[in-house]
Amino acid sequence: MLRGSLRSLVFRPKVILPLGAAALLLGCLAIFTPASAEDPLPPQAADQAAQPVAGPPEWIGPIDEFFGNYLVTPLDMILMYDFGTGKQLGAEIPFVVAWLFAGAVFFTLRMGFINVRAFWHAVRLTRGDYDKGEHAGEISHFQALSSALSATVGLGNIAGVAIAIGVGGPGAVLWLIVAGLLGMSSKFAECSLGMLYRKIDVDGRVSGGPMHYLEDGLAELGWKPLGKVLALVFTVMCIGGSLGGGCAFQVGQSLNAIKLQIPWLNHYPQTYGFLMAFLAGIVIIGGIRRIASVADKIVPVMCGLYVLACLYILLSNYDRILPAFGTILDGAFTGEGIAGGAIGVMVTGIKRAAFSNEAGVGSAAIAHSAAKTKEPISEGIVALLEPFIDTVVVCTMTGLVIVITGAYDRSVPLFADLIDTKQGAALTSRAFETQVSWFPWLLCVTVFLFAYSTVISWSYYGERCWCRLFGVRWSLAYKLLFLVFVVLGSIVTEGNILDFSDMMILSMAFPNILGVALLSGKVRMRLNDYWRRYRAGEFEQHGIQ
Amino acid sequence: MIKWLSNRVMVVPVDFSDLSLAALDEALELAPDAGWVHVIHVLPVLEATEPGVIWGTVDDESRARHALQALDERLSDARYNNLHKAIAFGDPGHEIAEYARHHRAALIVLPSHGRTGLKRLLIGSVAERVVRLAHCPVLVLKE
Repeated sequence: MLRGSLRSLVFRPKVILPLGAAALLLGCLAIFTPASAEDPLPPQAADQAAQPVAGPPEWIGPIDEFFGNYLVTPLDMILMYDFGTGKQLGAEIPFVVAWLFAGAVFFTLRMGFINVRAFWHAVRLTRGDYDKGEHAGEISHFQALSSALSATVGLGNIAGVAIAIGVGGPGAVLWLIVAGLLGMSSKFAECSLGMLYRKIDVDGRVSGGPMHYLEDGLAELGWKPLGKVLALVFTVMCIGGSLGGGCAFQVGQSLNAIKLQIPWLNHYPQTYGFLMAFLAGIVIIGGIRRIASVADKIVPVMCGLYVLACLYILLSNYDRILPAFGTILDGAFTGEGIAGGAIGVMVTGIKRAAFSNEAGVGSAAIAHSAAKTKEPISEGIVALLEPFIDTVVVCTMTGLVIVITGAYDRSVPLFADLIDTKQGAALTSRAFETQVSWFPWLLCVTVFLFAYSTVISWSYYGERCWCRLFGVRWSLAYKLLFLVFVVLGSIVTEGNILDFSDMMILSMAFPNILGVALLSGKVRMRLNDYWRRYRAGEFEQHGIQ
Repeated sequence: MIKWLSNRVMVVPVDFSDLSLAALDEALELAPDAGWVHVIHVLPVLEATEPGVIWGTVDDESRARHALQALDERLSDARYNNLHKAIAFGDPGHEIAEYARHHRAALIVLPSHGRTGLKRLLIGSVAERVVRLAHCPVLVLKE
C-alpha cells in the first residue's frame, strides 16, 4: 500500500517531469557556476582536463576497503588464477581468459564453424528475407539484434579497446578480432539455448536467458541440482555485472571522454552522475517508454556515424594503414615491450573482447529470447552477427585509429598518463583530436548515447535476474540500487568497487559456458536439423514459420 | 450463505495455478449463478526497458488480449460460460481489492498458496494483502 502510494505520488510523469526539470535546473546551475575562486581552471585547461580535480568523497574509502578485502581479493584469486603459467611461461594466463577462449574454440568446433558458414544466412535472416507469419515472441530478428547490440555496443568498444592497446600494445587488436570471430560461435550457442528454453507468459511476454536454460536444460539431462546452482550463480553475477560493467563503468568512462570537452565536469563530476541517473530514472522507474525507445533505436545510427568518423581518419591516413597492420601483426606475435610478451598481448585482447561483446557471458540471450520465430536456431544465427559488428567492425575501427594516430605511444606523457589511469575513452578522444579538431565533440555525443543505451539495456538484464531471485515486489529496490551505482560511476572512477563489478561480468561466463557446453549436444542436433531444411530450400519457399 | 450471496458479485482471482482454479470451482458452488462470479487475473506492470515495449510491439492492450485468450482457453468448460473475466495491472493484492470495491463485491474467494520461510518473506502473501485491503469479507481456502 505504502509503496503503491509512494509510486503513484512520486513516479507519475506529471510529478516526475517538474521534479526532473528542477533537477536539471540545479544541474545547469552547478554547470554554469564558476569553479571556486581558490581553484580556478587555467585557460589552457583543455590539456589538463583529463586529470580529475574533484576526488571521491571520504565515505567511499571504507566501502572501497570492504569491497577490496572481502569481495575483490577472493574473486580475484579465482578469476585470475594462472595455474602457474606466470612462472613457466613468463606470462600469466588468468583462468577466466582461458575459460572464455577455450569455450569459444570449443563452440566453433562443436558447431562446425557456424561463425563462417552461417554468416550470409544471418544477414538474410536479419534483413527479414525469411520473415513470414505470426508467431510467439515480441520482436523481429532485426529488432532483437538491435536491442542486444544496444547493451553490447558501449564504452567497451571505445574505452576498452583503447585500454587494451595501451596495456597490450597494437598487437592486442589482432587478438580482439580473433576473439570476436570465435565469440560468434559462443553467442550462437547461448542465444539458441535462450530461445529453446524461453517461457511465454499468459500475456504473450517472453522471458528467457541463461537462468532458464541452465536450470531447465540441465534438469532434462538429469542434472537438476547442478542446473539450479549454475542458474543461481549466473543470476547473482548478472545482478552484480549490471551494476558494474553495465552501469558504473559506462558512466565513468563516458564522463572521462566528455570532461575533456567540458572541463568544468572535473569539478562537478557528480552533476553528470545525477543527470544520467535522472535520465535513467525517468525510464526505469518513471516508465517513460518513448525515451528508452529513441535511445535504443539511435544506437545503430550512432554506431554507423562512429564507424564513418573512424573510416574518415583511416582514409585520410591511407598510407599508414598497411604499416599499421604490420605493427599489429608484429606486436601480436612478438609482444615487444609488453608485460608477459606475446601471451600478455593475447590475454589483454581476449579479455577486452569478452568485456565488449559479452560472448560466453550469456547476457545477450536475455534480449534475443524475445524474438518472434518458431525456429530457435534462426535467432542463434542472427545473434552471431553481434560479436562481428561489435568487435570485428567497431572495436577494430577504434583500434586502427589508436594505432595509426600513435595514441598508444607511452613516450608521450599525456598518452602514458591516460593509459596508466585507464581512461580509455579519453585516450580515444585524444586520438580523434589529433586528426580533426571537432571529432571529440562527435565522440562526446556518441559515448553519451552508447553509455545511456547500455545502462538502460543492462538495467533490464539486471532487473530480470533480480525479480527471478526476489520476486517482482522487490523490483523497485533494484532500480533504486541501480541508480545509486549510476551516480557512483561518476564519483568512483577506479578502485575496488568498480573492480568488483567488472569482475562480475566476467564471472557470468563460468556458469554460462559450463552449462552451454553440457547442452551443446542438443544445440548441435537442432542445428543439423535446421541446416538440412535450410539447404533443402524449405525456408526459401515457405519462410520461417 | 447462498441466500446472502444472491444477486451479489463474487470476485475470484485466478493466476492459472491449480489452487486458484480449485478456488473458482468452490466459488461457483457457492454462487447461485455463474454470472455473478467475476474472475480477475492481475499482470505485473510493464517495464519500459523491455525489448517489446521499446519496439512498440507489446503494450497493455496486447497483453490483456493474450491473457483473456488464455483465460478463455483454460476456462472453456461449459460451467464457466457465464463468468465475467477481467485483467488488471499492478500489485495483485491491491488490484484485487480495488476491483472488488469498484464492483461492490460481497465476497472475495482465493486460495492460500501456503508459502513459508524466505519465499513468503520475498514473494509475500497475496491473500494476506487482500484480507488487509478488501472492503468485503474474504474467504481464504486452505489446501
